[in-house]
Amino acid sequence: MNARRVLAVARKSLSQFRHDKRTIGFVVGMPLLMVIAFGYTFGGEVSHVRTLVVNDDAGPFADRLLENVTGDALDLVPADSLVAAREDVRTGRAWAVLGFPENFSADLAARRARVLVVLDGTSPPIVAAVLGSLRAAAERAFAGAGAAALSVEEEFVYGSADTRFIDSFAPGIVALAVLLVTSVFSVIIIVREKTGGMLERLFATPLTSGELVVGHALALGVVAFFQTSVVLGAVLLLFQVTVVGSVPFAFGILLLFAVGNQGLGMMLSAAARNELQAIQFIPLILFPSLLLTGVFFPLEAIPEGLRGLSLAVPLTYAGAALKGVMLRGWGVAEVGGDLVALTVYASLTLLGAALLVRRQA
Amino acid sequence: MAAVVPLEEPAIVCRGLTKRFGTIEALRGVDLAVPRGAVFGLLGPNGAGKTTAIRLWLGLTRPTSGSATVLGEELPPRAALARTGYMPQEVAVYGDLTVAENIALFGRLHGLGDDAIARRTDALLRLVDIPDRRDDLVSTLSGGMRRRMSLAAALVHNPDLLLLDEPTVGVDPELRATFWRFFHRLTARGKTVLITTHYMEEASRCDLVGLLHRGALLARDTPAAIKERTRAENLDDAFLALVRETSEARV
Repeated sequence: MNARRVLAVARKSLSQFRHDKRTIGFVVGMPLLMVIAFGYTFGGEVSHVRTLVVNDDAGPFADRLLENVTGDALDLVPADSLVAAREDVRTGRAWAVLGFPENFSADLAARRARVLVVLDGTSPPIVAAVLGSLRAAAERAFAGAGAAALSVEEEFVYGSADTRFIDSFAPGIVALAVLLVTSVFSVIIIVREKTGGMLERLFATPLTSGELVVGHALALGVVAFFQTSVVLGAVLLLFQVTVVGSVPFAFGILLLFAVGNQGLGMMLSAAARNELQAIQFIPLILFPSLLLTGVFFPLEAIPEGLRGLSLAVPLTYAGAALKGVMLRGWGVAEVGGDLVALTVYASLTLLGAALLVRRQA
Repeated sequence: MAAVVPLEEPAIVCRGLTKRFGTIEALRGVDLAVPRGAVFGLLGPNGAGKTTAIRLWLGLTRPTSGSATVLGEELPPRAALARTGYMPQEVAVYGDLTVAENIALFGRLHGLGDDAIARRTDALLRLVDIPDRRDDLVSTLSGGMRRRMSLAAALVHNPDLLLLDEPTVGVDPELRATFWRFFHRLTARGKTVLITTHYMEEASRCDLVGLLHRGALLARDTPAAIKERTRAENLDDAFLALVRETSEARV
């Protein structure tokens, strides 16, 4: 081994980095971003779970119990009737309802008090937070004996006490898999056209940039169709995930999401000068999607300051829509907002790709 | 002065065409007419502005000032692109497609039906002398063969105007002669062929040449007239004489 030649290779490599400012930024900035993102979002406690309270108790004990719900795990919101509160859980406006009957205080004195807990059981961490907070509050309010006299009646609007983590994860995992395969695949597609003067040659024909982008999206859409089938099929068949809603509708949502991801991939690809720069965009897509979208932990577990950011990450909407359809059996009426967001995402990224690609020829 | 008097509107007309990249002036106020039915050679050393001129005519970049028409259409000539064939300097073909698939792509982009494409492909592959490589991946072809394939792709839609950027680089002399016979056959049918080259001896095969030097057009005439005017033996010497003449005039 000749040291001079080894150094010549090393020096050449460093010089190449030096001429590629974006790569330097990536090498330094990306690990920093990863550490910060994980540090802030991982292992966060669930907080501010919107919980409705229907308190019909004639005596003082329900109030005493509620006063002892401490910390910021639950946001307790008074509600008028159990019927209306239950409807809020059904439509996703609240996670849980705590219902205290009229004779709650009297029953507690007689050691047979019951509190009704209406739950959206699609997220085990949320269920655990609600029940855990209630139990802790009872311990504090009534100390040993009184707490033992209290029984909790669970009523699941969606899911059940048996809802497994895999069930609650499944929609998010499927969406994440689709995000990964579609964006990684399309992030180099325009860069490839740019190399060797191909893009210039294509634009010397009557082909427009919009036609080029939509053409690519169509081809990628065919690929996405098969990918989505495999991913969704695997989750349903291998893990026997419980799906209460329409599988074709879930499939449609995933395809719409896939088109948006392809648009995003192509847009970033058009902004990159070479394959190396293009690949650097992949973690930029992945990290916010992993951490800020409620896919792995509920949005309620993300630090408040970062929660607003989740609205800017498309996987938030895809995950929410899929969860709604697969775990709650929701239809267009309930996930309409998410579908609009995903449609806007697909349109904007495809348009962005078309505009950027034209400037590159 | 012009030997070929155009009876109809020229294929390309430039009026004060200028293109600057930052402080670099790639084209400086070029006035030029390329008549229909001629092989026009755009000559000049590397960096003279030949490729920039072609990119402007194709609408791939916009002029800083001045204007031009291509097949009667102002820049950028969107509609004229359907009747224009372009072979870039780089061998821009897809290595991971077969020869026939590459040609078919450009045929379809120009609106040709599959039957027409199949017929044209056979004829073109015979012309560029790779008829037996039709279904081979382009990545398995030699560099020279890829260039020939690239020319075939530029010709698939039988364009009225051909813009060929250094088409004969890496092509052997025998095939080069075939190409030139073909170019003249095209012009005999009223097509216009514009070729850029920095090989001066090739330029003598053109009906007309334009000499570009540092973005400025030094002369536009028949090769014979240019040699006569500069009293040069060949176009190389004529070019050098013109460069000298221009710099002296500037001093």
